[in-house]
Amino acid sequence: MSADKIVVSGFRHFFQSDSGRVQATGEIDVTIREGEVVTLVGPSGCGKTTLLKAIAGFITPSEGQILCDGKPVRGPGRERGVVFQELAILPWRTVRKNIAHGLEIARVPKAERDRTVERLIGLMSLNGFEDRYPHELSGGMRQRVAVARTWAADPDVILMDEPFAAVDAMTRLTLQEELGRLCATTHKTVFFITHSVEEAVFLGDRVLVMTKRPGTIKATLDVPRHGKGGRDWDSFTGDPEMRAISEQVMHLVHAERV
Amino acid sequence: MMGRIAWKLLPAAPALAILFAWWVYWTIVQPPPSVIPSILDVVRTGAELAFGGRLAGDIVASMGRLLGGVAFGMVTGMIAGFIAGLWRPVADFFNPLVVFFNAISGIVWLPLVIGWLGVGNALATFLIWNTVFFIVFQNTVLGIQLVPEVLEQGVRSLGGGRWETIRSVTLPGALPYILSGVRSGLGFGWRALIAAELVGATTGLGQLIFSGSEYHRADIIIFGALLIGAIAMLMDRWLLAPIERRTVVRWGLVAASRGR
Repeated sequence: MSADKIVVSGFRHFFQSDSGRVQATGEIDVTIREGEVVTLVGPSGCGKTTLLKAIAGFITPSEGQILCDGKPVRGPGRERGVVFQELAILPWRTVRKNIAHGLEIARVPKAERDRTVERLIGLMSLNGFEDRYPHELSGGMRQRVAVARTWAADPDVILMDEPFAAVDAMTRLTLQEELGRLCATTHKTVFFITHSVEEAVFLGDRVLVMTKRPGTIKATLDVPRHGKGGRDWDSFTGDPEMRAISEQVMHLVHAERV
Repeated sequence: MMGRIAWKLLPAAPALAILFAWWVYWTIVQPPPSVIPSILDVVRTGAELAFGGRLAGDIVASMGRLLGGVAFGMVTGMIAGFIAGLWRPVADFFNPLVVFFNAISGIVWLPLVIGWLGVGNALATFLIWNTVFFIVFQNTVLGIQLVPEVLEQGVRSLGGGRWETIRSVTLPGALPYILSGVRSGLGFGWRALIAAELVGATTGLGQLIFSGSEYHRADIIIFGALLIGAIAMLMDRWLLAPIERRTVVRWGLVAASRGR
């Protein structure tokens, strides 16, 4: 059994608005073990992004605490990389410089930096676009750069907030498979938020289902990974066990329609 | 090919249209030269001034004051803008003062400042600074506030500290607004410069125009105005536009204007 990487206990969050305090989430307890891919699916507005931002350290929880490797989270840090829903790569850096940014900050020597960047450019099929600026790329390409940038910095935990929500359906299938391969080969701890049931089951070792706002964790389902992990759409759609889990998650989510 | 040449020459078309209208009006109405001179008169006066020796000195004097004042206003405006843009309490403290002083034209200060600084380059520098500072300051603050927060969060979760986010996110992110402030600042800097030179200098294009008005020489006034406009256009094209092409246009933050 792997060690606990992220432990969220007694977490609740409130936002201050003009009309008073708004409850963003109910009480949430989540444990993510090292090397595990945990996906979280829930209706929009349930507070899933709030939970992710708290783990990332962008917001301080109103109640409860969040531990990373046993230490309380007090702000953002390079051990917790984030891939955002909206585009967060820098428009004024080329693809190569965006991917290398985390390594530059960590003062990694240039030769090693270049090797890492080349490897990720290959893994994310960005060959030939190294010296382009983000505005010259398609939406899918940009999201690949965002994923590569976070992976290059080599964080222990990667937090992903609906990273493929804005790309077209065809590209999304490819990106999901690429991400599946990346998770399988690098053994990173990944926390992935989505509102797509299929995506959650396809990528997760474990799927968490949230209730509508103020959201709490309603159910946890284990997704058995046979052989190579089954993270390609051909074997996924043909697998009755995966279909059964997807249906189960679908029922749970369906009950939370807003 | 012909099309591309025509496209390059297009920016000159409005100037030619105005010259043509001027010529038509002058030929038909024949106004007295002290009201509207002919194009030929203006050209002849320009040539006389250029070869008579005075013009080059006036241009150099004006450009020196302009660049000095604009550079001073730009640097102080950007520094103050960054401090106010990055620290909310500082912005809250300074905003009323900025609104207050921004409303007061340099001409109001002129009689006082002549007493403090005397007549000369310091006076011109102050008047230009008084215009450029506020424009650059406000554009810088706005530019910083409009940089998407998610870009900063992304760099912080890559391990970047405060300085790294300022250097790699805030500064380039605010650049389109800063450059727009510099562009307006240069234009208003010219206005302030000429105002300063009318009263507070013995050389410069402002003095040239002032001497024209004393002798009712409309040709000198119009020649001076044309010269100022032409220099301003050249500076925009050869100084600012290349900077924009290499930065904000290259990054896709601002659409390239097709004429260039």
